[in-house]
Amino acid sequence: MARRGAPVDVVGVGRTFALGGGEVEALRGFEMHVPAGGFSALIGPSGCGKSTALRLVAGLDAPDEGTIDMDGASPDQMRRGQRIGVAFQDPSLLPWRTVSTNIRLALELVGRRHDTGSVDDLIELVGLQGFEKARPAQLSGGMRQRVAIARSLVTEPDLLLLDEPFGALDALTRQQLNDELQRIWTARGTTTILVTHSIPEAVYVADEVLVMSPRPGRVVAHHAIDFERPRTRELLLADEFHAKVEAVSASLHRSEGQVVQLEADDS
Amino acid sequence: MDRVPPRVLSAAVGIAVLALWELLARTVYAGSYRLSPPTLVVVDFFEYRDLYLRNLWHSTKTAAWGFLWGNLAAIALAGVASILPVLRRSIGAIALTVFCLPFIAVAPILRLITGPGNGTPITLSALAVFFTTYVAALLGFDTAPGSALDVVRSFGRGRLAAFRRVRLRASVPAMIAGLQIAAPAAFLGAVVGEFTGARSGLGILTVRALGALHTERIWVIALLSTIVATGGYMVIGALGRWLCPWAPALDVGAVPAARQEPGLLNRMAALLAPIIVVFVFWYAFLWVFQIKPFFAKTPFDVWAELFTNADAAETRSSVFGALGTTLWTTSLGYVAGLIGAVVTAVVFVLIPWLERALMPIAVALRSIPIIVTTPVIILFVGRGLLTTTAIVAVMSFFPTLVNCYAAMNRTPVGILDVLKSYDAGSAAHVRNAYLPTAVPALLASARIAVPTSLLGATVAEWLATGDGIGAVMVIAFTRNDYNVLWVSVAVLTLVAVIGYWLVAAFELRTLERVAPGASR
Ligand SMILES: Nc1ncnc2c1ncn2[C@@H]1O[C@H](COP(=O)(O)OP(=O)(O)OP(=O)(O)O)[C@@H](O)[C@H]1O
Ligand SMILES: [Mg+2]
Repeated sequence: MARRGAPVDVVGVGRTFALGGGEVEALRGFEMHVPAGGFSALIGPSGCGKSTALRLVAGLDAPDEGTIDMDGASPDQMRRGQRIGVAFQDPSLLPWRTVSTNIRLALELVGRRHDTGSVDDLIELVGLQGFEKARPAQLSGGMRQRVAIARSLVTEPDLLLLDEPFGALDALTRQQLNDELQRIWTARGTTTILVTHSIPEAVYVADEVLVMSPRPGRVVAHHAIDFERPRTRELLLADEFHAKVEAVSASLHRSEGQVVQLEADDS
Repeated sequence: MDRVPPRVLSAAVGIAVLALWELLARTVYAGSYRLSPPTLVVVDFFEYRDLYLRNLWHSTKTAAWGFLWGNLAAIALAGVASILPVLRRSIGAIALTVFCLPFIAVAPILRLITGPGNGTPITLSALAVFFTTYVAALLGFDTAPGSALDVVRSFGRGRLAAFRRVRLRASVPAMIAGLQIAAPAAFLGAVVGEFTGARSGLGILTVRALGALHTERIWVIALLSTIVATGGYMVIGALGRWLCPWAPALDVGAVPAARQEPGLLNRMAALLAPIIVVFVFWYAFLWVFQIKPFFAKTPFDVWAELFTNADAAETRSSVFGALGTTLWTTSLGYVAGLIGAVVTAVVFVLIPWLERALMPIAVALRSIPIIVTTPVIILFVGRGLLTTTAIVAVMSFFPTLVNCYAAMNRTPVGILDVLKSYDAGSAAHVRNAYLPTAVPALLASARIAVPTSLLGATVAEWLATGDGIGAVMVIAFTRNDYNVLWVSVAVLTLVAVIGYWLVAAFELRTLERVAPGASR
């Protein structure tokens, strides 16, 4: 398998936002290590700093402390090298462009506007054939997210960052896209970080599931997932799959409980 | 540059402009009447302080009455349109027609009714605020949350109860935004009313000063008008922020056009209803005020004057020839103003420190009734065709700039993040984010700017240039030729309404493509 992604090493990262008069500490001592071509899933309670962490790795924001390194390059250098693909919680499509021109936007931005064949392939991949000429307002929420995913993939990035890209999808489509995501990842070997709220989803697609604490967020548990690939839907019924889901779920609850405990101690 | 507080930056820019102005006036323009040095303007103000303050007070009082009556009428009619949707289109047509009237030429006609006193400026001032407040109030009534309306309905109560209990309350933020624009507009109406004759007030003082080429006086008046009009705008804005701090800032000039119902029959009704309503109002106006036939012209008189009378051909050639000149100079200024505004907005959004330095000044200028400063522009540019173009350009520039910049600034962060994640450059940002997001605001501003541009052009022509339909009207006015005056008013109003419609139609078609769901 061709592994052409970049490794990601995040060490001791902190990020604090000014909000109104006060401050919000989103991340403190956040660490994560994704090997080249690895697939990590990030899971944690709402508001714990998952999106913040992903934006830092994407070079869209800078940490207040700590370092992020990708094979000797900083996130900003990776971003400037146009080696990153991102799909956010909010699909952020250009409302005046069609499905296919929205996907093509990424190609235009990296100076490969004539690569139209890959656009058609991706439209098929995310199941939007027949909607090439539709505008975002004419699509359902889930369809918009699929366009955003296609856009993040079309440039064949070395690092793929997905922030709850399947949030607005029904369970069936979601499973379909998880299969597709796995297939693309296996074929291309892109380093991938997926933020999700769904534990089974994380366990199904990732090599490793990282569980975060409530804000200020940091990684409090690592779960290596070593099911054989390609993973199929039969895995969803397997006992060892459920055991993993239980384990991740337990550490997520522990991490939430911890802070409740801490807050109780404070008062 | 990024660390200097905006206030300091703006103040510095303001001082620099003043210094440059003083320098130019004392060197390049020394001895000419084009530009007065600020210091002399201040000296002149203090020398004739009583005169200025007396007239300022007079115009402000006039504007205040116009503000009161115009807004009351607009809000009342918006209420009627909200409760009785069948009347909506007809009331909207009246409001638009009023907005499209060439005020400067309407003044002599109004004076037939109100007499030589203050009635005409007050009426014009009321007419000047009517349209924007009507649009704002109706928008406010429409924004009432559907769920709240459903609750009222679920208790078996009708539209009136829904209006009283939900819509009226929900409309406050939009209403205040409308009133904010109405403050300078009321001042504009008052001063334009005084331009054509009044016993006192800044308008008539300007006309006298323009005749005597009393440069300082014209500058003092322009500055005083600016201060009072901007003051009104700011006070109402502050009131709005205090009353409804949760409401987002809203500019009535950026509200998208109302969508039209589909179907040929509806289209025909949309076209015919306003025409019939306007004709009914026209006759009602003549009948209620019992104007003598020498002064009063019906739609048929206007038609006869243009097409069937013995000298119809002559009237046609003079009116339409002059109209051609006006339309040409106006469209030049209109297009220049719009393009300049978009380019400036792009520059501001790309260079934040420039925006912080200059935008407060642009916002202040956006709130001033530019027409009131027409005499200053006349002095500076001269009395040629270029004057009209310059005034129209300035008039369309500032509102469009403020609205387009605000829209660009609201570009969703997610879209900017996507562009940034591919390290897109400025050009890609402009093409893929800023320009397309500004399109709705640009089109709304362009639509509103059609009537205001024609108003500015006719005022400039009336006061100064001696060209175009404004000049035809001023000659007709001095010769008591009420036929030509009515014909000109009717033709100009029709042109403005058609221009407004054309832009609105283009706006709706474009919005469907660019920002689906943006139109109302
Ligand atoms: N630009 C910002 N300015 C101020 N505060 C911010 C900003 N971005 C994030 N925050 C704060 O940082 C914290 C973490 O936000 P983040 O969006 O990373 O959470 P999340 O884990 O992605 O949550 P969710 O699962 O709900 O998406 C939140 O408390 C949020 O209010
Ligand atoms: Mg998030």
